[in-house]
Amino acid sequence: MSMESTRSANSAKRSFNNNSNSASSNSNSNSNPSNKKKKTSQKTLGVAWGSNSRSSSRSSFSNSPFSNFGSYMVEKNRKLQNQFEAEASTSSHGGSGSVKPIFDGVSIFVDGFTVPSSQELRGYMLKHGGRFENYFSRRRVTHIICSNLPDSKIKNLRSFSRGLPVVKPTWILESVSANKLLSWVPYQLDQLANNQPKLSAFFTLKRSSVSNGASTHAPCQVNPEAEDSSLKVGTSGDTYFSEVSEPFEHSKQISGESDDLVDENSNASLVEEPANSSGKPCEVAMVVPSNIDTEDESSVKNYLQSNHYQPSALVSSNCINNQNMKGSPSSTVSEPSNQSHSTLGDPNFVENYFKNSRLHFIGTWRNRYRKRFRTLSDGFNCTSSNIKASALKTAIMHVDMDCFFVSVVIRNHLELRDKPVAVCHSDNRKGTAEISSANYPARDYGIKAGMFVRDAKALCPHLVIFPYNFEAYEEVADQFYSVLHKHGNKVQAVSCDEAFLDVTDSEGDPQLLASKIRREIFETTGCTASAGIAGNMLMARLATRTAKPDGQCYIPPERVDDYLSQLPIKALPGIGYVLEEKLKKQNVWTCGQLRMISKDSLQKDFGLKTGEMLWNYSRGVDNRLVGLIQESKSVGAEVNWGVRFKDVKDAQNFLSNLCKEVSLRLQGCGVEGRTFTLKIKKRRKDAEEPTKYMGHGDCENLSHSTTVPVATDDVEVLQRITKQLFGSFHLDVKEIRGVGLQVSRLESTENSKQGLERNSLKSWLTSASARTEELCKNNYVAKESSNQGCEGEGDETLVQLCGNSVGLSIQMDSNTSNGAACLNEVSVPPPLCHLDMGVLKSLPPELFSELNEIYGGKLVDFVAKNKGKTENMNHTLRAYSHEKIEGAMKEGQAALLSSMVFQNEIPVENKAKQHIAKEVPAVSGAESFVPASGLMKTDLIPSSLSQVDTAVLQQLPEELKVDILEHLPAHRMQVFSPNVLLYPTEIPLEALGTKTAENNSGSKDFVLDNNLWVGIPPQWVEKFKVSNCLILNILAEMYYKSGSTGNLSPILQCISSVSIHQLDAFQDGWDEAMYILCELLKQYIKLKIELDIEEIYVCFRLLRRFAMKSEFFIQVYNIVSPYLQALVGENYGGNLHMSLKD
Amino acid sequence: MDRKDNQSPQGETARILVEFLEVAITSIVFLKGVYPSGAFERRRYMNLVVQRARHPQLRDYIHSAVFGLLPFIQKGMVERAAVIFFNTDGIPVERFVFKLAVNQSYGSKVEETDLEFSLRSFLIKLSVSESLTKVLPCDYRWEITAYFRSLPEASANKDVEQWIPTDTRQWEQPPLLTPIKSMSSEPLCVQLYIEHPSLSEPKP
Repeated sequence: MSMESTRSANSAKRSFNNNSNSASSNSNSNSNPSNKKKKTSQKTLGVAWGSNSRSSSRSSFSNSPFSNFGSYMVEKNRKLQNQFEAEASTSSHGGSGSVKPIFDGVSIFVDGFTVPSSQELRGYMLKHGGRFENYFSRRRVTHIICSNLPDSKIKNLRSFSRGLPVVKPTWILESVSANKLLSWVPYQLDQLANNQPKLSAFFTLKRSSVSNGASTHAPCQVNPEAEDSSLKVGTSGDTYFSEVSEPFEHSKQISGESDDLVDENSNASLVEEPANSSGKPCEVAMVVPSNIDTEDESSVKNYLQSNHYQPSALVSSNCINNQNMKGSPSSTVSEPSNQSHSTLGDPNFVENYFKNSRLHFIGTWRNRYRKRFRTLSDGFNCTSSNIKASALKTAIMHVDMDCFFVSVVIRNHLELRDKPVAVCHSDNRKGTAEISSANYPARDYGIKAGMFVRDAKALCPHLVIFPYNFEAYEEVADQFYSVLHKHGNKVQAVSCDEAFLDVTDSEGDPQLLASKIRREIFETTGCTASAGIAGNMLMARLATRTAKPDGQCYIPPERVDDYLSQLPIKALPGIGYVLEEKLKKQNVWTCGQLRMISKDSLQKDFGLKTGEMLWNYSRGVDNRLVGLIQESKSVGAEVNWGVRFKDVKDAQNFLSNLCKEVSLRLQGCGVEGRTFTLKIKKRRKDAEEPTKYMGHGDCENLSHSTTVPVATDDVEVLQRITKQLFGSFHLDVKEIRGVGLQVSRLESTENSKQGLERNSLKSWLTSASARTEELCKNNYVAKESSNQGCEGEGDETLVQLCGNSVGLSIQMDSNTSNGAACLNEVSVPPPLCHLDMGVLKSLPPELFSELNEIYGGKLVDFVAKNKGKTENMNHTLRAYSHEKIEGAMKEGQAALLSSMVFQNEIPVENKAKQHIAKEVPAVSGAESFVPASGLMKTDLIPSSLSQVDTAVLQQLPEELKVDILEHLPAHRMQVFSPNVLLYPTEIPLEALGTKTAENNSGSKDFVLDNNLWVGIPPQWVEKFKVSNCLILNILAEMYYKSGSTGNLSPILQCISSVSIHQLDAFQDGWDEAMYILCELLKQYIKLKIELDIEEIYVCFRLLRRFAMKSEFFIQVYNIVSPYLQALVGENYGGNLHMSLKD
Repeated sequence: MDRKDNQSPQGETARILVEFLEVAITSIVFLKGVYPSGAFERRRYMNLVVQRARHPQLRDYIHSAVFGLLPFIQKGMVERAAVIFFNTDGIPVERFVFKLAVNQSYGSKVEETDLEFSLRSFLIKLSVSESLTKVLPCDYRWEITAYFRSLPEASANKDVEQWIPTDTRQWEQPPLLTPIKSMSSEPLCVQLYIEHPSLSEPKP
C-alpha cells in the first residue's frame, strides 16, 4: 500500500506539471505568478496528499494552485485514473497477458447501490481491461451501471445518463463469465425497459410537438437516423461522407451509443426537455446542415411529423423515399401529419396504427380488389358452374410475386436488386421491429420474416431496410391483377400478390402463357413473379414453390406422384406447425410417407375434415375450383402492438376509436353483424416487458361476446356494446396489451332491408315480441332473455317503481307501471290498459310519439281517457283487470283484494319465470315502502308467505327484511281465512326463516374453507370481484392495482388512497361483507403470524387508520383485533402495540 | 470471499446470520446511545454504512456472544436472541428481540445474495426506528440474552460455558410488541421486534 501511495503521489505531481496550463487558465483572476513559484506550491501539495491527513490537505488547499473546486476535481479525477491504471497494470500482469481484455474500451460509472458492490465491479474492470470512473463524465464514461434508479432520475433519464446506456451490473458479471463482451441491450435497467413510451405518451408527444414546433427537437431526432440513411442509400451516401465525413464520424460515435435510448426510451422525454438539444450543440451544428443540404426542408419536416405517428421512430428512410421514389409524395406519411394538425390533441392511434399495418393492408386489400374487379369476378362466378362439367383436363396456374413487399419498394432502385434488402416498419439497428419481408439475397444470409431487426443486422450488417410503402403496394397489386385479368377471366385472388388462374379454356400452351404473363408483370410493375402450372390448385401452388424465385414450373399429371413423394409434409398448405409435429411423431416426414397411412386412420387421428385433406393432398388431389371466393365470416380489427393505457379514459377512448374502425370495415364490406366479441390481451402477471419494442409479450387472452337481435354496423351501437363488454372484464387497464373487436354472424346490408328503422325502438320491440309471444299472455313482464342492457336499466325501473307506488294516485295502477317500466326496457308493448299514466306523461315527447306509433295512435286517446279516470281514483279503489282474481272474489273482500293486485303479480311472474333478480326486489321494495309511508293500510302486505319470494326477501336490505317479517304474522292472522281458498300452499314462517338462513350461510360457504389466501391470485380476489358488495369489490380491484403481490398491506395501502368515508356508502350486505372481511383478515393473520408479524402489524395499523374514519372498519377492527392479540400472545408472548397515540 | 463449499446450508446460513447479528446488535447499542458515538466507527457491511464498536472489550463482548451462538443456531436450538436494556433493579425496560428460525430440512444451496438482501433491510429499518424506542432511564445496563428451545448440556461444548443462565427479571404482564422487520428467505426466517412493558405493568 505504501508503495502505491507514494507512486500515486508522484504521479499526481507529474500530472500537475502537465496540467499547469489549464490550472492557470482556470484561475485567470490570479495575476501570472512565475512558473517557479507554482512548482514549489505543487510540491507541498504532493507531500500533503501523500501524508493523507485531513488537516494538512485542508491547509494545502489555501496555498494550492486550485482556484476553485472544479480544478480540484479535475486533479482528483486524474489522480484516481492514474491509480486505477497503476493497479490495472499490476493485476493484468498476473492475468491473461496477451489476450485482448474483455472490457477494452468500456468505461463504467457505478451509480448507487449495486450487487455486487461498486468495489467488486471496479475489481472486475481492473482485471479485464476496462475503466472505472469514480465521477461521472460524459466524455469518459461509456456505460452507467446501476441496479435501481430513483424516480427523479428515471423521469429525467436523459439529463442523468446523457444518452449513455444504463445497464445492470449482471452485464459485467456475465460478460466476465462468458469471457467476452456481451451486448448490453438485454441488461438494460428494468425500470427503463418499463419506461417504454405508452400510448398516452404518444398522445402527449403529438400535442407537444405541434406546439413546440419541429425545430427544437429536429436535431435530436434526425441525428441518429441521419447516419443510417446515409449508409443505406449507398452510392449517394458516399457523397455525404466525403462532404461531412468528420462530423459524421463524431455523430456516428455518439448516436451509435445513444440511439437506442433516443429511439426507444425517450421519444417522449426528448420533447419534454427541449433543453437537451441545446445540450448537444456540436451535434446539432454539424448534422443539421448536412440534412438541409441533401434533402429539402419540407421532407425533413414531413419526416418529423410522421415520426409522431409511427411510434417506433422508423421513418429514417421516408426521407429517402421522398427523394428517390419518383418524387411521389408518399401520402401515407404526409396525410396523417396533416390530420394531426387539424385534430389537434385528438389521439388517432387506432387510425394511424392501421395506416401503418401491413397485415391490415393485406386484410383489407381483398375488399378493394373486389370493388375494383367486381364485374370481372362476378361474371366469372356465373360461368363457374359450367366448368365443372368440362373439368376433365384442367390447367390451373398459380402466380405469385417474388417477395412482394420488398421488390415493390426497391423496384426503382436497380442498384439494390442484388443487395440484401428487407422491409420493416422500423430501421433501428438495435430495434425489435420485426422484418416483414426480405428479398432473396437477404434470405441467403438467413434473414427471415418475423426476425427482429437487431438479429437480422447481426446476421447481415449491410442489410438495407425500407419501410412500407402502401401506396406503391396498392399500385403494383392493381397492375398485377390487371395483367392477370387480361389473360384469363377466371382469376381467383388469394392475396394482393398471389392469385390462381384457370387457364383450361385458353388456347395455347399454358407454359407459354405463364411466361407471357410473367413478362408482362415484370414490364408493368418492375417486379418479378413466379408461376406454377398444374392440374389443380394444390399442385399449381406447389409448383410455384419450386419455381421461385422468378421462374415457372409445370407439373404434368404423370409427374405428380414423383413430385409429392419426396415433398416434406410442411410444404402442403394446411399443414402448420402443430399438425407437422403430430405427424412427425408418427414418423411421417414426407408426403410419400403420409400416403402410407390409410384415410380412416388419418381421419381418426386428425378429425374428419383434416384427415381427408391430408389424404387428398398427399396424393395431389384437390377438388377446389378456381373462383370460389369464401365469404368472410367475421369482420374485426385487432390492435396488439403499442397498447398501453394510463387510465380508464385512455382505454375508453381507444375502444371507441376501434369501434369506428370496425364500423368502417363493416360498411366497407357491406355487412352488418349480430355477434360482437371483444378480445383482450392481458399481460400475464409474471410477464416481463416484451423483447419486442412495445409488443404485447406474454399475455392471457380473454374474450367476451354478446349477440344482439338485429345486425348492425352503427358506430354508436358498436361503441355501446363494446363498452359493456369491456366493463365485464373488470380489468386493470394498465395490464392490457392488446384489444380486438370482432363482429360475426354477418348479414349483408342489402338483405336486411332495415334501412332507417334499424335502430329505432320499434324494431327492437317487434323482434322481441316475435320471440316472446306466448309469454306475453301471462303478463306484461316479458323480458327478452338475451337482452343486454337490462341490468343498467334495472336501477331505473327500481326508482320508477318506488316513486310510483308512493305517489297515491298511481298506486292503483302499480301493476301497469310495472309494465310501462318494462316497456322502456325493450320488451313487448304491454296491453294499452296496463300503461301507466304517470310514466306516460313524463316521457319525453320523442319517445312518446314513437310509442304512440307502436300503438297505432291509440296511445293519445288512452291518455285522454285516463285523465278522466284518475280523478276518480282517490275515492274508489279500482282494481285493474285480473281475471283470475276477479273470478274468485267475493263482494266483501273487494276492497282488500284490490289492494292486493299488486302482490299477486309476484307469483304470476314466478310462474312465468321471467323476472330478473333486480326487478323483483324493486317490486317488493315498493311494497314495504308503502306501509312505512303510511299511505295505505297494512293490507298491502301479502296475505300469506307463499306470496313472498324468498329469493326476493334475501335480496332485501336487512331492515326491510325484518320489517316485512314482523308485519307478516300479524297480518296473516287477520286475513288468513278469507284467503285460504286462494292460496292453498303456505310456507310457515319458521320454514322460511331457516331457509333464508341456509341460503345466507350457503353464500358464505367459501369463506369458511380456510383457503381464501390460496393460489395466485388468492381465491378471495375472484370471489370479491363478483360480490355485489362495494367494499369487497374495491378490495379485489385494489389487489390488482397494488401490483398483485399477495400481501395484504399493499392492498390496504391502495385503499387508503381512496377516500375512506366512501367505504361506508353502501347498505346492502353490510353484515355479510363484514363477516367475510373479518374472515379474510383472520385467515391472513393465521397465515402470517408465525413468520411475518411485521406485515400483520402494518395491516392493522392501516386498518386502525381506516377505523378512525369509517364505521364499517371500526366494527371490522373490533372484531378481528382480539383474535389477533390472542394469536400474537400465543406466538410471541405479548400483545401487539396498537395504541392510538402514535 | 472464498468459502468452504462443503459446508451444510444450515452452517452457511448460521454463519451469515451470526455475522448479521453482530452488526445488528452493535447497531442497536449505537441506536440507543448507550455509549458516546465516538465509541463507534463507520464500516461497510453488505454495502451499507454500519457502526462498529471501537472499544475492543465491547466489540469482543458482542462478537463472542453471538459467535458463541453459532453452533446452536446451526442446530436450530436458538429461538430468540434479545438485546435487553434494564434499569438498576434489573427490570427490563426495553428488549430488542430477534426471533430466529432456521429451516433444518433445507437442503439446497443457500443463495447468499438473497439472504443478504433480506438482512440488509433490517439494518436499514433499524437505523430509522429510533422513534419507536423508549427513552431509557439514566442509569441502565444492557445484555445479550439468547432463548433456547432446550438447554444444551453443559459438557457438550466449550462454547456453552460462555453462556450463563440469566437472572434478568421478567415482566409480570405480557409485553407490548412493536414489530420492526420480518423477513423470510429460505432457509432462514428472522423477525425483529421491540418489547415494552405493558401499560398495566406494575411500576417499580
